[in-house]
Amino acid sequence: MRLFALARSRKQWEPFAFASPSLFLIAVVILFPLAYAFYLSLLNFDLSVGPEAEFVGARNYVEALVRDGRFLGSVWNTAVIIAPSLVLELLLGLGIALLLNRNIRGRPIVTALIAIPAMVSPVMAAMAWRMLFGVKFGAINNLGRQLGLIDVYFDWFATPFLAILAVVLVEVWHNTPFMMLVLLAGLQSIPQELYDAAKADGASPWQSFWSVTLPLLKFTMAVGIMIRMIDLTKLFGLIFILTYGGPGGSTETVAFNTYLVGFKDFRMSYASALSYLIVGGVLVLTLVFMWIQRHREARAA
Amino acid sequence: MRRLASITVAALVLMAVIWHVGGAGAQAKRPYEGTTIRAVVNAEYVKYSLSLVEKDLYDKLGIKIETEVIPADAFVAKTLLEFNGGGSPWDLVMFGPSNMPDYGRHFEPLEPWIQKLKLDFQLDDIVPVFAKVMLRHQGKLVSMPYDGDIHIMYWNKVAFERPENRTKFKAKYGYDLKPPKTWRQWDDAAEFFSGWGWDGSDKKLFGAGASYKPSGSGYSYHWWRARFFAYGGNYFDANMKPLINSAPGLRALEEMVKTMPYYPPGVLLFESEEPKTMLVKGEVPLLHSWTSTGKRVGNPAESVIAGKAGFGLVPGAEIDGKTIHRPPITPGRGMAVSKYSKQKEATMKVLEFISLPDQSLKIVMDPKTIMDPWRVSHLRNEKFRKAFPDADKYLDAIEQSFPLLVPDPVIPAADEYQRKLSFEITEALAKRKSPKDALDTAAKEWDKITERRGLEKQKAAWGEKLHEMKSIGIEFHPEWAAKAK
Amino acid sequence: MSVTLDRPATLTMRSAARHRLWRGVAQVATYLGLAAALVFFLGPFFWIVTTSLKGNEDFFAYPPVWIPSDPSLKHYTGLFTRSSGLRYFGNSLIISTLSMLAALVVSLPTAYSIARWRFGGGFLSTLLLVLRMLPAIALIIPIYLMYKAFGLTNSYFGLVMLYTVVYIPFAVWLLVGFLRDFPVEIEEAAMIDGCSRLRALIAVVVPIIAPGMAVVALFAFIATWNEFLFAIVLTGIETKTMMVLVTSFTTGGTDQFYGEATASVVLGVLPAFAVAFMLQRYLVKGLALGGTKG
Repeated sequence: MRLFALARSRKQWEPFAFASPSLFLIAVVILFPLAYAFYLSLLNFDLSVGPEAEFVGARNYVEALVRDGRFLGSVWNTAVIIAPSLVLELLLGLGIALLLNRNIRGRPIVTALIAIPAMVSPVMAAMAWRMLFGVKFGAINNLGRQLGLIDVYFDWFATPFLAILAVVLVEVWHNTPFMMLVLLAGLQSIPQELYDAAKADGASPWQSFWSVTLPLLKFTMAVGIMIRMIDLTKLFGLIFILTYGGPGGSTETVAFNTYLVGFKDFRMSYASALSYLIVGGVLVLTLVFMWIQRHREARAA
Repeated sequence: MRRLASITVAALVLMAVIWHVGGAGAQAKRPYEGTTIRAVVNAEYVKYSLSLVEKDLYDKLGIKIETEVIPADAFVAKTLLEFNGGGSPWDLVMFGPSNMPDYGRHFEPLEPWIQKLKLDFQLDDIVPVFAKVMLRHQGKLVSMPYDGDIHIMYWNKVAFERPENRTKFKAKYGYDLKPPKTWRQWDDAAEFFSGWGWDGSDKKLFGAGASYKPSGSGYSYHWWRARFFAYGGNYFDANMKPLINSAPGLRALEEMVKTMPYYPPGVLLFESEEPKTMLVKGEVPLLHSWTSTGKRVGNPAESVIAGKAGFGLVPGAEIDGKTIHRPPITPGRGMAVSKYSKQKEATMKVLEFISLPDQSLKIVMDPKTIMDPWRVSHLRNEKFRKAFPDADKYLDAIEQSFPLLVPDPVIPAADEYQRKLSFEITEALAKRKSPKDALDTAAKEWDKITERRGLEKQKAAWGEKLHEMKSIGIEFHPEWAAKAK
Repeated sequence: MSVTLDRPATLTMRSAARHRLWRGVAQVATYLGLAAALVFFLGPFFWIVTTSLKGNEDFFAYPPVWIPSDPSLKHYTGLFTRSSGLRYFGNSLIISTLSMLAALVVSLPTAYSIARWRFGGGFLSTLLLVLRMLPAIALIIPIYLMYKAFGLTNSYFGLVMLYTVVYIPFAVWLLVGFLRDFPVEIEEAAMIDGCSRLRALIAVVVPIIAPGMAVVALFAFIATWNEFLFAIVLTGIETKTMMVLVTSFTTGGTDQFYGEATASVVLGVLPAFAVAFMLQRYLVKGLALGGTKG
């Protein structure tokens, strides 16, 4: 009812006028460059060779998917980093959220304190941990030596396996608080009555967790996982500072590799193609994830 | 009479005062007072090195330098991106002379300014081998050396001269323990020294030091090519076919992979300074690295081996009874004036100033600057030769290496060739690929680079370098790989 | 779904005591767990701060010195003087503040359009959602080339414009959430009194959703402050931000310049601490209001 009155009184151009500044900016600063990047990806523009470039169609894309071992390696590395990070962030985040959901004193301040790592830049997180991991003077090795756990040198980046472990650790430290906040919001939206009803029926805390909490948290968890997953595909700053892709190329992520191609090799066209492959990959991941969600919901019904 | 006399005296005094003040005023006015030029360098310690001459520069010319540091990893990329885009915010540019083919056309030629401002760069005092790689682009003089990087070998005398070590070594390997002259001896020594207290302590020490991180222009490739060339390798053949995956290259890389356990953990991420620190702290007995290491070795503030270190040639390979040494020249740094600078005159004066024998000596003598001698006068300077124990032997080792040096492939895309090769070498060292796969992939990447830059162009540029290398006796000898001892 | 167990309706003494014990243990476990979490998440900061204050050779000492024996601010002064830290801190501050304000000014009317009139329908909402997922790497290449052509590299304007626009989708999303909860009647009342819609928005709506706007502003500030890829590519010696400053300590060994490195981290995370404390009560609410609600 109210909406009709509103509709009659509104001027036709108002909605557009209100939205136009940002629409204009988005068009100029995001949409146009994206289109330009797509166009670039169909050329062979290479700044180190010169300003001229020729049209090569889909060649960059084909080369990336078929001939470029380093790119494909970076895709694999990204996946290897994403999987354990997601799992750990979910489990750890859920655990802490459950703790925080209970009646504890000073909840706002504890929440704020735990949230801090998620609010610092990945670059700062990586720098802090890089120093913590320092071979001779880092806190971790010092502590380890004091406690008698390690001998002389333990280099956390000595092998590809350790380096990936380190990356996952820093990632989890950095972003679990975010997941925790999302889950906490979800937990707090579960009405207390449901728990009371379950308790009245004689359910133990463990049982009410499985029967009340988890089902109602499913949507929140899905959203959290999807947001994190998409963010993880963009992993760049953390790698840049922590390992710079090393040792060898074992921690090169797709974004990092694309950066090297574009800003170290100057191959702007090829880098544009790679970035579009990343965008495509993220899209596919999201669609697959949403399909799985829908499938599960359909089955549960 | 008296009045005239007093007037004359007053006039004389006045004249004297005016002359003195006027003269002093003219002296006090520095020629470029108030000018600030902008320099760009690739590490904090380079910025520090410039600060050593800042005061004298200001006192003499009134010029200040504002230095921007772009980390080595991004340096070539960012600076070339600016230049290729048609401009640059910097006046004084530091660069790696191996990249001269890519940088050279953006530098202001020095000759016209030498004429105009009567500059004197004292070119005769520059060590000839540096003069060859660090000064000219397409025949024109465009830059001055700033840091003369070559590799020499360092060893810890305690490790090699302890009687217990000598007996043990002789018993195990059948020959006397001596600073290695060939790579086989180096590998034996590394194996021997790895994992126990060869300095008489009960610490677990390491066999040898190296830098295997493929960052910047790539470190691991410098360590590989010392072996590669000793075993008869070369970068390309006359048709730009990469020769890095030939037998010499394979042998070099396989040896490096096999001896990985004798190096400290983390060597895959070591850049230039970490192994040097380990050497001067007595944790590795052997290292071949840049000449700046020598200064750190002799610096009592941080080195425990000052006076107990030896300096010599990088090991080689024994071919038919002769030992062939192929120390790398990784020509460190040059300084040039950007073609796009709006303060070329002032920058030229600065370049002349920092290249002066005594000013540049200040820079190359200070152990914190990591800059290395590049003038003959540096190497012969009495103060330098007495700066720390055995400093003279250190400078002599450098001079001995000069006739044997192997340059980087100084052709367009040099940085990219080196990076791609270093990357693959480290992949093999990290056991992510077999040495053969790594070198084959590197060769394929090199082909891609050549293709992108234009085969004919690269062939022409490489043709010149191939000729130069031949004239100092470096040629491709694949058969050496099997023969070398 | 209810769970029925055959258990006597009344609790016996034993199970009551067991219940109390279980509750007590659970409480202790909760506090322990949270303490462990705090140590894990905040421990690194503690070490970084203390290291940045180590005035002498404590950093290189073994057994390790955890509390500086001779605390000093010399690394901070070194950072400010030798490494121009003050200037870069200022740059980060200026760029983040301007981007935050601009994003807010531009996003609020747009959010209003979407909340009130469903402007753009599903298309616009989907577009904004997709843009939020866009990786920065896809944008930086064309932007770099375009900025080079127009001389916008190493300029405050170029960076602020980019950060503002990149943040719009997220800001709009959050603001739409806040606005949807805002009753239309209040605006109506103001407009019936004769003011234009824009004035109504500014004078009436804004003050009431001010807390929500503050949340959006602070998140925008932090997101810009923390941004890295655009910063390393597009900044020059005048406009470098704190994030870029940190990279100059990764070469040549973090051991040599440990003081400046840790000091720069401390300065770089200051906004995070500030925002976390300011948003304490809104952290969960902010996410719940603008977040998980579809």
